[in-house]
Amino acid sequence: MTAQAKAPTRAQLAQRRWDLARKWASHIPAYLVLGLWSLFTLFVLLWIMESSLKSNRELFSGVWALPSQLHFENYANALFAVDMGRYFLNSLVVVLTAVIVILALSAPCAYILSRKPFTGSNLLTLLFIGGIGIPQPLLFIPLFALLNGLSINNTLFGLGALYVALSLPFTVYMLTGFYGSLPLELEEAATIDGASDFQVFFQVMLPLGSPGLITAAIFNFIGLWNEYQLALVFLNDPNKSTLSLGLYSMTNALQFNGDWVGLLAGVTIVMVPTIILYIVLSEKMISGITMGAVKS
Amino acid sequence: MKTRKRLIALFVLPATLVYLVFFVGPAVWALYYGFFDWSGFGQNMQFIGLGNYVELFRDPIFLASLQNTLFILVVGGLIVFALAFLLTVLVSSGIRGKKLFRAMIFLPNVVATIALTTLWAFIYNPVFGLFNSFFKLIGWQAGASFTFTSIDRLFYAMLVALIWIEVGFYLILLMAGMDKIPAEYYEAAKIEGANQWQMFTSISVPLLWDVISVGTVLYTIFALKVFEFPYAFAGLTPPVNIYTIGMYLYIEGFGKRDPIYRLGYATAIGVVLLVCVIVIVLLLRRLMRREVVQY
Repeated sequence: MTAQAKAPTRAQLAQRRWDLARKWASHIPAYLVLGLWSLFTLFVLLWIMESSLKSNRELFSGVWALPSQLHFENYANALFAVDMGRYFLNSLVVVLTAVIVILALSAPCAYILSRKPFTGSNLLTLLFIGGIGIPQPLLFIPLFALLNGLSINNTLFGLGALYVALSLPFTVYMLTGFYGSLPLELEEAATIDGASDFQVFFQVMLPLGSPGLITAAIFNFIGLWNEYQLALVFLNDPNKSTLSLGLYSMTNALQFNGDWVGLLAGVTIVMVPTIILYIVLSEKMISGITMGAVKS
Repeated sequence: MKTRKRLIALFVLPATLVYLVFFVGPAVWALYYGFFDWSGFGQNMQFIGLGNYVELFRDPIFLASLQNTLFILVVGGLIVFALAFLLTVLVSSGIRGKKLFRAMIFLPNVVATIALTTLWAFIYNPVFGLFNSFFKLIGWQAGASFTFTSIDRLFYAMLVALIWIEVGFYLILLMAGMDKIPAEYYEAAKIEGANQWQMFTSISVPLLWDVISVGTVLYTIFALKVFEFPYAFAGLTPPVNIYTIGMYLYIEGFGKRDPIYRLGYATAIGVVLLVCVIVIVLLLRRLMRREVVQY
């Protein structure tokens, strides 16, 4: 022990420095590959935003040059002339409402399925989780007929209803996993203290489960905000477009008007909200993916 | 006990009802519609038994779509998992900025599909796109005049973009599994003189088997139903050689460019899609069943 407590010799110091250098050197390939991959992603996203502030002429003449002046009118055009402002509001209303309804429906259901088994509860859980495997295109035509029958086709309400129904399998799956992982003791203690089942859920499980609910909310918000497949099938009225669908019609219009910078402004408007959410809440999102898939 | 029953009913029924009406019911209906020749909503439906299915397997466009979809599933899947594994190993190799790299690689997954297809149209653009401009900058003439999105390359160009997105998702999945493996295992292996590859095949892969099998099932479901990304990537009138099964279904059922709606036929495509999902997922589960390594 005494020998080790002494100051390291010059040779030992050199050895240590050499080891450190070797460790760094052995990490160079990792930094190189990961750095290039990340830089590519970062670069293309920033490049889109930067180009959205150019004029079309500047864009066509050279991609590397920075804009000579900032053309904010691209954004004004996208928001007002192409009506992306209205689509933004449409998306906000439909998606926020849908997310609230999804949670209101899934949380109690998932709680019962994972905590209070009843006859047939396993079958019901399976029925919900099985929905993850159903390819959405299979449902297009029956759903179209159904929405027509209910006279809610081509309405934001109808689209919202589909958003809710089609998000249930994954949300129920995620939340049953989450409620299943919470400790039993608190629930039992509350019951012993004389709380009713309702009180246990609303006063104990709901607050206790809020991290899971928040993750489910972010997940659904981002997924539905970015969704355009169902909007494409079930909305025909341009006034009712969601933001993603509006951007899709902008890409189609590009063939006729060649307005690249306007389109890129549209792209920026669509992607900025989810990227901001992601920057703030990336840890929560990432934990959501693994909530069901990786058992602890 | 009575209140317990009331609680269960109150908590479970609303979700179940919405799910049955807007999801399970339509899925069952689809099986039924597949037996009919049906040209439009409100039009007469004519029962033709298995007619749609017989026609499907003689339909060259369907077979081309099926082939593309299977290509995305098998070749795309192998590349996605190989890259996700490689990046997972690199990110977990004890470097700094682990979380930052992970977050950057996952980033495309939070951006709207339609924004991503536009982004790639911009990257591939022959006049001012990123790749061609870069090749011009370094003075490589052949590269500078290369067309990434010509008809015969369109599908592969799309697949590259799709892989760039998906790798991030499977990276997260694999990393979560990787983080659970105790570091001592690798330290012990290192002392025994194992190299990186040996540690990968005899520690990482067996201990990650659960995650890998969940991942392959998720990728299978994703690849078989993929529609949004290739459809938007291909522009106004997608050429047949980029069709996936999901795209063909949509175009047959709602093909806006073409006034003929073939609803029964399109639904039959959906049913084939469902059968593919079920068969391949069951097959994968059988193939990948293995004793779970406890640790």
